[in-house]
Formats: sequence, C-alpha cells, structure tokens
Amino acid sequence: MTTHLDAPPVSPAAKPAAWKTLLAWLLWGWLGLVIGAAFLWVPAQAAGFQNPIAYRILFFHVPTAWVSFLAFLAAGVWSILYLARGRGRRHDLAAAVAVELGLAYCVLATLTGSVWSRIEWGAFWNWDPRQTSIVIALVFYAAYLVLRGAIEDDQTRGRLAAAYAVLGLVVAPFLYFVLPRMMPYSLHPEPVVNAEASVDMENRMLTVLLAGAVGFTALFFWMHNLALRSRLLAERLEEEAHL
Amino acid sequence: MSNWLAETYAVFAKDWKSEARNLYALNTLALFAITTLVLVSVGLGPMGVDAAGAQVLPFLLWIVLLFATSAGLPRAFVQEEETHTATALRLAARPSAVFWGKLAFSLSLTWGLEILVAPLFLAMVQLEVASPGQFVAALAAGGFGLAAASTVIAAIIAQARGRSTLFAVLSFPILIPLLLLVVELTRDAVGGFASDAVLRQLLLYDGTVAVAGAMLFPAIWNP
Repeated sequence: MTTHLDAPPVSPAAKPAAWKTLLAWLLWGWLGLVIGAAFLWVPAQAAGFQNPIAYRILFFHVPTAWVSFLAFLAAGVWSILYLARGRGRRHDLAAAVAVELGLAYCVLATLTGSVWSRIEWGAFWNWDPRQTSIVIALVFYAAYLVLRGAIEDDQTRGRLAAAYAVLGLVVAPFLYFVLPRMMPYSLHPEPVVNAEASVDMENRMLTVLLAGAVGFTALFFWMHNLALRSRLLAERLEEEAHL
Repeated sequence: MSNWLAETYAVFAKDWKSEARNLYALNTLALFAITTLVLVSVGLGPMGVDAAGAQVLPFLLWIVLLFATSAGLPRAFVQEEETHTATALRLAARPSAVFWGKLAFSLSLTWGLEILVAPLFLAMVQLEVASPGQFVAALAAGGFGLAAASTVIAAIIAQARGRSTLFAVLSFPILIPLLLLVVELTRDAVGGFASDAVLRQLLLYDGTVAVAGAMLFPAIWNP
C-alpha cells in the first residue's frame, strides 16, 4: 500500500516550478478575459430572454454547473480507484476534496440559477428537472461529507465513503429517466449542443461560454491540486510530529 | 454453490432467530408504520380526500413505508456491531453470503410490513385500486428496492457514529429515484393506467442497486 509517508520529508523552503507559476498566471489572465468579454464583447442585448441584459449570468452559471458535475464525476472515479487500486490515501483524499469543491460550485450554480430564474421566470424556484437534480446532488454529496465526519479511522472512512460515492454514481442515471417524465416542461433553454447536435447560440456568446467552461474547469483542477497537496502536507506534518 | 446457498440461508435464519428473541425490528416497523398511518388518516379527516386529492395518496403510502423501514431495517447490521458479533459473522460466512442473507431478512421484513400496512392504508383513506395486480407489483418491486438499498446503507452506517440519524441522511438521496418511480407506478395502478415502462425502470433500479451492493459489500464489510 502506498502512502504519503513514502515521500521525502517536507521542505519548508520548496518553491513551485517556474512553469507552474506561469500556468497559474495564464489561468488568471484567461478568467479575466472571460469576465471582461462577458460584459464588454458579447452582444449588448440578446434575443430570446425576458431581460436582454441580465442574460450575462449565463457565462458564470453554466460553467459552475458544469464544473460541479465534473467534480462529482471525478470524485466517483477516484473512489473507484481507491477501492480497486490498493486503497491509497491520495485517492481517498482526492475524492473528498473533489466533493468539497463540487459542493461549493454546486451552491454557486444554484444561487446564480435562482437569481436568473427570478429575473427570467418571475420565481426563484419552480422544481424544473435540472433544479431538482441539482438539489438531489447537493443532498447526496452533503450526506457523503456527513458520513466522512462520522468515522474517525482513516482506512474505515476511506472505504465506506468510497463505497457510498460509487453507489450514488450508479443510482444517479435513474433520475435522467424519471425527472423529465415527472416534469415534462423545463423552463431551462435548450442545451448549447442539443439532441440534433446543432449549436443554437450566437457565435460570440458561444465563444465566451465555452471559454468560461474551459477556464472554470482549469480553475477546479488548480484548486483541487492545491487543496489535495495542502491536505497531504498537513497529514505528513502531523505524523512527523508524532514520530 | 451449495455451500454459498447454505451460508446465505444460515445468515437469514440466524437473523430471524435473533429477531424472534426480542421482536425488536418487527415491533419497531409495525408500530412506526401504524402510528404514521393513523396520523395520516386523522390528518385527512373522516371524509378522506376528493378525486384530485387522491393523487397524493400513493405518495403518502410510500412515505409511511419509507419512514417505517428506515426505523427498523438498519437493525440488521447495527445489532452485529452493538453485540460484537460482526467479527464472528465475518469468520463464519463469506461476504456475499452475508449480504444476500441480510438482504433476504430485510426483504422478508419489508414485504411483511407491506402486507400489514397496504390494506390498512387503503381502508383508512378510502382509496380504491383499479389495477390490483399492478398495485401488488409496485409493492413487491418497491419493497425489494427499499430492502436492497437499506441493506447496503445499514452495512455502511453500522461502522460509523450517530447511526440512527445517519441512516436517514445517507439512504434518502439513494432512495429518491426509487420513491419517484414507485409512486408513479402506484398512482397508475390506482387510476388503472398501464405503465410497463415504469415497472421496467423500477426493476432495473432494483437490479442495479442489488448488484452494485453485492459488488461493493466486500469493501464495506471487510476492515
């Protein structure tokens, strides 16, 4: 079994490689461009929206929702890897950190969606299929963190939390059958790429939306990497202090 | 294979023998269900509900069953930890036999509860079922899904702190698709509408949770 204890001792003077610093600055620049373009470059008013100016929230709402989905999927994959590949501590912590970040993005997606829903449809909430799915995801992954908090031993916490995450991943697709039938009328606009595989959006809007999705995805992996390394370092320092 | 069946049956029989000593799970399930049922019936009033209100009754039936099972089914694994018999069980039977034996025990409890509660519910809320066969299918398939998901979650929470509250917290998100499907099927049974597609999806959910549970169980059960 591999653990972080196999790594060399922590060096407080270690500095990040130059290419990593450059990548971080590139990410900030990219996100700055996306934010600027969302306010200054896209059409001032877009057709098909109740409020033609407030539609800009789309460029933040859709990427945050996408990243929360990606984070939960990644947590499921790391949980499978944890169970299948020797139960390494890194996989367990990677799944936990992904869920924590996914929940944060999920809350942001819910809040931005609610604000937009109020502006477009006149109500903060109306149990649209996608709103319902996001609430169920919030409840499930909050339960995952509650489970982790209820177990003290690292190994027990790792295997039980991983099993629960995988079970959730297996059950989730059923919501895609059930919810559209129960709530056939969604107020959400058609997806960017719909069932006919055609792109139904003005070119500049689509460019900013996709650039936002790429930027937020990179931001997620950057935050995940930082949080995971920080968590592993904290554990190593604690264990070295006990030696 | 015969050894596996014998081990599975032994786990199932052990749970029933143990249950027969104090009838804890049976009493909890039955009393919880009947109390909730009485509350629902009193809440609806002596005249019951009109045709439009009857749409909500299948949902209330499954809420009663869901809460009753969540009060009694975790017992299957929690008891093993509380009485310190889990280690002996790990030595006596392979994980798959423990899982299917415990699932059979939970399933027998759930179906027994449904046999008690469903007729009482129909009588107390004055609900007529247009397709009794479909109603029974909904109870059978819904009961299996409840038992399968509860068995996996019970095995997880038995090894954690705060077991009583944790079971509800962990199981409800997993049971939401089941609840939505089975309520739809029961509503169709009451109204007399055919809903083979919903039944197929419900059976698929049951099979998926049972197979996923069986595959994950060794990781959950073995320290």
